[in-house]
Amino acid sequence: MSALLQFLIAGLKNGAIYALIALGFTIVFAATGAINFAQGEFFMLGGMLGWWFLHLGLPLPLAVVASVATTAGIAALLELLAVRPIGDGDPLRIIMVTIGASVVLRQLAEHVFGPDELSLPPFAAGASIKVAGAAIEIQTLWIWGITLVAVVGLAILYRYTSLGKAMRATAIQREAAQLVGVDTRRMVTIAFALAGALGAIAGLAVAPLTQTAFDVGTGIGVKGFSAAILGGLGNPVAAVGGGLILGLLESLTAGYISPLYKDAVALVVLLGVLFVRPQGLFGGSRKEKV
Amino acid sequence: MGRWLRIGVPVVAALGVAAAPLLITDTFLLKVFTYVGINVLVVVGLALLFGYAGQISLGHAAFLGLGAYTCAFMTVQLHAPWLLAFACAGIVAALGGLLLALPSLNLSGHYLAMATLAFGELATLAFREGSAVTGGVNGLTGIPFPSIGPFELRSAAAIYWLVWGVAGLAVLIAANLTAMRPGRAMRALHGSELGAAASGVDVVGVKVRVFVLSAAMAGLAGALYASAVGFISPSLYTLQASVGFLAMAVVGGTGSLAGPIVAAALLTLVGYLDALIPGLPRATSELIQTYEPDMYGLAIILVVLFAPGGIGSMWRRWRGAGEAR
Repeated sequence: MSALLQFLIAGLKNGAIYALIALGFTIVFAATGAINFAQGEFFMLGGMLGWWFLHLGLPLPLAVVASVATTAGIAALLELLAVRPIGDGDPLRIIMVTIGASVVLRQLAEHVFGPDELSLPPFAAGASIKVAGAAIEIQTLWIWGITLVAVVGLAILYRYTSLGKAMRATAIQREAAQLVGVDTRRMVTIAFALAGALGAIAGLAVAPLTQTAFDVGTGIGVKGFSAAILGGLGNPVAAVGGGLILGLLESLTAGYISPLYKDAVALVVLLGVLFVRPQGLFGGSRKEKV
Repeated sequence: MGRWLRIGVPVVAALGVAAAPLLITDTFLLKVFTYVGINVLVVVGLALLFGYAGQISLGHAAFLGLGAYTCAFMTVQLHAPWLLAFACAGIVAALGGLLLALPSLNLSGHYLAMATLAFGELATLAFREGSAVTGGVNGLTGIPFPSIGPFELRSAAAIYWLVWGVAGLAVLIAANLTAMRPGRAMRALHGSELGAAASGVDVVGVKVRVFVLSAAMAGLAGALYASAVGFISPSLYTLQASVGFLAMAVVGGTGSLAGPIVAAALLTLVGYLDALIPGLPRATSELIQTYEPDMYGLAIILVVLFAPGGIGSMWRRWRGAGEAR
């Protein structure tokens, strides 16, 4: 019983991280109709920049904030320099550009921060908590808390603020949004910045548990995308659901079958969902935009 | 003028490529040009898939891996004749392509990109974990040289001719395909799938055949690499390698074979500038190697942003301007 509980805790911990990455994919997809292949690099940048700011002498909370802000800035810059110049907004070209950008960001991180694995201290001291024979690390509680705050914050932003309403309008119908005076180009930039911030937060939150390095972006990007696809691309709530389900599937596979197959789970899920039900578990049978 | 260029340039290029081993005495340099031939073979397949049919693949390194491991396993463990192993490498990679293409038929754009990426990552995992066949992370060593019947191709020149012979054959096949009905069908597919289907193109058939052919070419390239170098490991068949091939196809441009061939040659040679320029300082060549992946990434970005047609369309524009004059 306690073994199962331990697997569930680990699954929900990783799942919360996948959910944050999936939200980043979803936000950019809603605004541009394209997948940002550099989303995983925001996760990587979050952890690496956090380590860097910490070693510049900033206290941990400030280093975290600085890292999130810098990553959001880099994400916005990516949109301004590489995505916006694609005048026709052709999704295939946006995909290609972000593939190129992910390579460049990963390489730059290696040149600047070195090839070694780096780690951050946990956000709060303290031994792990025991619940019914299973242990929960304090950092795991932080991860859950951060994901919860991010999801609720995003919901509030989208539902109650004029910025969020303008972003939603851009996502639903770009021309119509322009007609009612929304600066849709700015909304796309903001979407990238938000996706960058979410990715960075995820990267910072797990860095104390698993080390980070310049090349962690691709792996987490695939998992985040699997989560987004599993839930249904473009829907924030579905993205979170997809993330948690994927985390649980991975953890139960590792626990009851073999840890060897853990990394294959997301790939199999991704291929399975793409081939059988591309609209995702929670998506309606909406046809893809031609 | 146009006719002369269309026939003359390829003939001169082919003669030059064929004569290279007679002029180049440096073995390493000859090996470098052999790698160019291997990459040309891959990129010609990718040019059909990406540049003509408009289908993206982010997992092409997996097909090289399938071919390389098939050839290595058959020659090392089963002591199969090389030609048989080589043929099987192409077949296994083609089957891999079929396996991926069939369920991917309804996918396009980012969905196809992600499906091929996931396929590639799964293949890397399989190469790493399937140690009984693949040797795990250490890979396979002692892969014999190519041999045709009793003749073992040991010398750098012989391997060079073999590789370029296969690559040249692939270019010929691709050139014939693109000049005729299949080429028009592929281009129609690139423009609009619905439109292509409406004008009687067998969309499913074309997509599957291009994917399978492209995978087979990559598989043969993998087998040639394994036999030429004698050693393979999973680290050769990662996403980074796939992105490298895609960069060659993108820089080469759409609707062109010559463009991707030139791009494959240029991007491959950059990594070996020290062999091309004898006096190059060691620090410089190391710097270039360190920044090689950056270059691939930047090349994709810059071409997509500023020259979406790549080398192929620049050449067409230049030639068009020349003819108009």
